[in-house]
Parts: sequence; C-alpha cells; structure tokens
Amino acid sequence: MKKATKSSVVRTKGGAKSSPQKIIILGVGNVLLSDEGVGVHVANELMKMEFPPNVSVLEGGTDGFRLLNVITEAERLIVIDAVRGGAQPGSIYRFDINDVRNCPSGFKTSVHQIGILEVIDLSGLIGKTPYTTVIGVEPKSLKMGMELSPEIKAKIPRVIKLVFDELKMSSKIKRTIKLL
Amino acid sequence: MAKKITVDPVTRIEGHLKIEVEIENGKVINAWSSGTMARGFEALLLGKDPRDASYVVSRFCGVCYSVHQIASARALDAAFGAKVPWGGNLIRNLVMGAEFIYDHPLHFYQLSALDYIDIMAIANYKGKDKELLAVKDKIVGLVKANDTYPLTPRYEPDEFCVKDPDIVISAVKHYLDALKMHLAARNMGAIWGGRTPHYQNIVVGGVTSYPDVNQVARFRTMLDKQKKFIEEVYIPDVVAFGTGPLWPLAKLGVGGGHYNYMSYGDFQLDPEGKKLVFPGGVIVGLNPANIKVDPVDTKKITESVKYGWYKENKPVHPFDGEQVFKLDKKDAYTFVKAPRYDGKPLEVGPLARMLVAKNPTVLDLVAKGAKPGAVARHAARAIETKLMVDACYTWLDQLMTEMTKPGFKIHDTEHWNPPDKGEGAGFHEPPRGALGHWIKVKDKKIANYQAVVPSTWNASPRCENGIRGQYEEALIGAPVPDPKNPINVVRVIRSFDPCLACAVHIIDPQTNEIRKFIIE
Repeated sequence: MKKATKSSVVRTKGGAKSSPQKIIILGVGNVLLSDEGVGVHVANELMKMEFPPNVSVLEGGTDGFRLLNVITEAERLIVIDAVRGGAQPGSIYRFDINDVRNCPSGFKTSVHQIGILEVIDLSGLIGKTPYTTVIGVEPKSLKMGMELSPEIKAKIPRVIKLVFDELKMSSKIKRTIKLL
Repeated sequence: MAKKITVDPVTRIEGHLKIEVEIENGKVINAWSSGTMARGFEALLLGKDPRDASYVVSRFCGVCYSVHQIASARALDAAFGAKVPWGGNLIRNLVMGAEFIYDHPLHFYQLSALDYIDIMAIANYKGKDKELLAVKDKIVGLVKANDTYPLTPRYEPDEFCVKDPDIVISAVKHYLDALKMHLAARNMGAIWGGRTPHYQNIVVGGVTSYPDVNQVARFRTMLDKQKKFIEEVYIPDVVAFGTGPLWPLAKLGVGGGHYNYMSYGDFQLDPEGKKLVFPGGVIVGLNPANIKVDPVDTKKITESVKYGWYKENKPVHPFDGEQVFKLDKKDAYTFVKAPRYDGKPLEVGPLARMLVAKNPTVLDLVAKGAKPGAVARHAARAIETKLMVDACYTWLDQLMTEMTKPGFKIHDTEHWNPPDKGEGAGFHEPPRGALGHWIKVKDKKIANYQAVVPSTWNASPRCENGIRGQYEEALIGAPVPDPKNPINVVRVIRSFDPCLACAVHIIDPQTNEIRKFIIE
C-alpha cells in the first residue's frame, strides 16, 4: 500500500512531476489452461528479479473488472497475455492499445467477456487510462493443464527481454496520460 | 405459432451463456439455458497433495476466486479433521465479507443498471449541477466518438426503463462512483489475503496471516467509507428503482421460477456458530404468508448429466461425480450439470438467503405485493450487503478482543499433514449463492474432487425428469412483446448475477489484423 501513496503523489496535477513514472507490469491469464497462463508464468519469473521502486510486477490471474485498482494506479502499463491471432504458436506480438483501437473491423475482443482491454477502457471513465503496451504470445495449446507447452515455455526469456526493452524505452517516452 | 429466439451470448455477465426462448402471444413459453464453456477443472487436482487444492481452485475463476479457496479449505478441514480456531475464522470471515462489499454494488451498477435506464436520456439533462454536467459531457463524448463500451451492447429501452433525464444522469453518476468505490474496496481483502485477486492466506486449518492492530484499523477505515456509500447511495438507488419505476415489474413477479430456495448457511457471528449472518435452510414451494424452512441435508444433492455434454451416468452425489465429456450426445445442450436437491431444482443466491433468513425487509416488500423475481433479487442483494457490512464491524471488534487473549491462534497446526485417507465437504455462501466442494483423499493424495458452484444450480438444464432449471423456469411468462427486443429475458437472467466465467481470459480478436503486430 506504500506504493499506492507514491502514485497518488504522481497523479496530483502540477507539482510532483519529478517523481518517477509509476510503471506496472501485469501478467494475466488462466494458469489452469496451459498456454493461456503464459502471462502469469512470465510475471512469476519477473517477480524474482530486481526492479526500481517505481516499477511493480503483478499477476492478475483471470480477473477483469477487479484489476481496475491496479490499472488506475499506473501511468505506464505493460500487459503480458496470450493473444490468439491465428499465427504460428510462439509468435510474439507487441502493440500499444492506441494502435489496435484504430483497427477498422474493430478490435473489441469479445462483448461477453470483460477482458483486460475492456477494463483499460473503463479506467478512462473514472480518470486516466495508462499508456498501455501489450506483449502477447500466440498459444499452442489451451487444454486443461498447469504446464506451458515446451515451445511456449522456451519463449519466456525472450518475452522478459522485451519487457526490459519497454522499460528502457519508457524512460524516454513522454508521458501520455489520456484525461477524459 | 411460437417463435424461437436466441440470446447468445448474454452480455454483461461473467462468462459465456446462451439463452433460447420460445415466445407466443408476447410471452416466453419455454426456455433453455446453455453454458457454452466446458468446465471440469476438478480433473487437474487428481493425484495432487490435498493442501494444494485451495490454491489451484482459486484459479477456477478470476471473478469468484477466493470463494473456491475457502470452500476447498473447509472441505480439507473436514477431511483432515482440522478445527479452525475462532481467530482464524474471524479473518476468514472478514476477507470473505469484503467480497460482498465489492461484488454486489458492482453487479447492480456495472452489470444490471443499464437494463433499467434509457442511457441516451442523459443528452436531455438540462440541470446545472457541475458534476452531473461533467457526466453528461463524458457520456455524450463517448457516444459521438462511437466508443460506448461499456454502456453497450443493450436492448432498446421499453416501458419499464427510466427515461427521466435527472434520474438517469444521477444513476450514471453513481455508476462511476461505484467503480471508484469498487477500487477502494478491493484493498480490504488484501490486508489479510495478501493480494486480490487470489488471496494467499486461506489454508486448511485456518489462515496464515497473523493480524495486528494497524491492520484492523485500516480495514475499519475502509469499511467506514464503503458503509457510507452502501447506505447513502446503493441502497437508496435500489429502493428508488424497485419501488418506483420497477414496481410494476416487481408486482408482475417477472423472473420468479420454481420458488424453491437453498442456503447452506454461513458466516458465524460467534465461535459456536449459533448465530449466522446467513442461516441455512431449504424452502420448497415458497408460501410467502407462511415460509417453511427445512434444514439442509447435503446427502440429498445429486447431479444429473442427462442434458449435459457428459458421458451418460445416473444422477449421483458429488462425492461420486465424474467429468467425462461427450460432445455428440443427443439432446444435450450445455456444459452445466443439473444439480437437484431431493430431485428438485433450487435457486441459490441473495434472494434465497434472504427468504431462508425470513429477512423482515424482504418479507415486507413481499407483503406489499412484490413477487419474488428479478426485482426482488436486486433488493435482496442490497439488503444483504448491508448485513455483511454490519457483520464486518462485529468481527473487527471480536478480533480485537480475541487478539489480546493469551494463546491467540489463527491456525490448527496439529492437523497440517494430510491424512492417509479421508473425505470431506466444504460449504460456503459466496455472493452468488450456495457453493459446495467435495474431496476424497487416498494415500495422502487427492482421489476425487467435485465443486458444485452457485451458477450450476441457477443455470442448470433440465434433469432426468425433464424439470427445467431455475433460469429456464424463471423466464416462463416474461413479457416479450417484440421478439427483436427481448430486454426482459436479459433482465431476468442478469438478476441472478450469472458467473460462468471459470475459464478463459485470452485476447482473442475477431479479426486477423492483429497479426500485423507480430514482432517475431
């Protein structure tokens, strides 16, 4: 909860600009459905590593709505999730939320499920939407099981490297806070 | 001629649900409820150390996670012969009580309210209230930008929808306030749960989080804020809608069903469990003038798979249940099994709990002419949120006293190791209703595991005797004057707060364009 206080300082208008940007790395997915849980597996690995105090690593399971408290706390959000785009299993995607908003045929994933992208939208309704990047992995199997497929497991170090690249870039990117 | 319509998927619920109804003369005459996602995570548990169960089951669902954890821990308590000390139970109660505080208002505002208001009426707001004008700008802006999620999809407003711009705009303001309250509430359970979602502190024998005075104070401060919102915003809104524009729906009793109800009973208010926040009991064939409540005998529970995509089997008790899919089965239409109590379908959840408890506020509404149905479910949900807030204060006081006692304990450490053999059942009353977990232990490992979740009771299909499940029965008679606008169908279903999530969270776009973002 100490961290929450820090971010509320960052959120105040004017002043506080000198405090470092609050960055949240959020792994999501269901660990009971093999590769669906890749985001959680990556987050669990990241948690073993050292990060500066303005960076938090979290694992959100399959929560939707209930991740709002985490999302609204962040200025910069890096989401790691499985993405089913029909590509070769193990393919890695990287996109900013703003990129996919502009897909002409509509990117809204599924109306019946309150997924991570929908929750990020909601955060805008009550304040700010963090500048969000998704790093996605095309799954091989979504069968019941608590282990990742070997091909997907092998990608974890690569995904971790990409997360670190984002962190390096973040320090250079101007803060983009969408105020509604 | 009856006309068949399908609502697939039902939106603004957690999970995948398909509802088919037959309409004749503007009313539903038949209905089928179909859970279109396979469940059966229980199979994953077989052969594991039983102590892992409470953690694994908390991953069944990202919405109702801890409820599985506690039901599982209680099943293990029974199988291990563990006796949870009162201190451990108090902390279990507090973290689980917090679930009600963030779940129920969320259901009312975020998942249901849009069924009862004409959101577009906001554009006609002529008032001068600054805050409300900001809400108007926000919503009108979203509509103009064609970005109305999460206010869509929805059906056309009907005669029951509130169209008064002043009421609608304040409802939407509360929608936004409720979201903010939700964020704050989430941190309550995390004080002892360690995190949300997926608490870490509930284990067989008690809890792992030794409380201190600061934590109690923090919980209390957060609770004060929630109490204020619940008493000053949530409950008045439910009352204003339920006894105002929705009173005709309430009197019609739309969404009634079988009028059979069950609560397992939960949330002890004293160490002996003499007094519960939610008393247990079964009501078969409700007579509101003279409610007869029988004690629950869980041996009478069976699950039928006659209309489920499972291998044929006779109805069996959950201890003996199995999970073998058979997708080409004739007549099957759902992945949801059909639990029955003494052969009867039951409703579980807030309305069931408040009727079993003979809650005076609910009985008063019924006496005034509200039939138990969709509107009554929203009322019951609000009433029990308040009961839970009050109970949390009681538990905080009790915990403070308990903590000062010498030998204060939160865990039965004598019973931490798995027995060679044993079986146990664990029951819990989570926000959505009666939850049961059953475990069999053999050679210190899990030999069988079954969970009967609340939405299985409510969303159940027909059973061997062809008796409809509760959603199905509740839809019968619902007015649908225009088959293209089955708003009453979704009102009835959403009033149960369906949660069939228990599954996938993948980003699964309906387009291949996502592939242009492949980087390697």
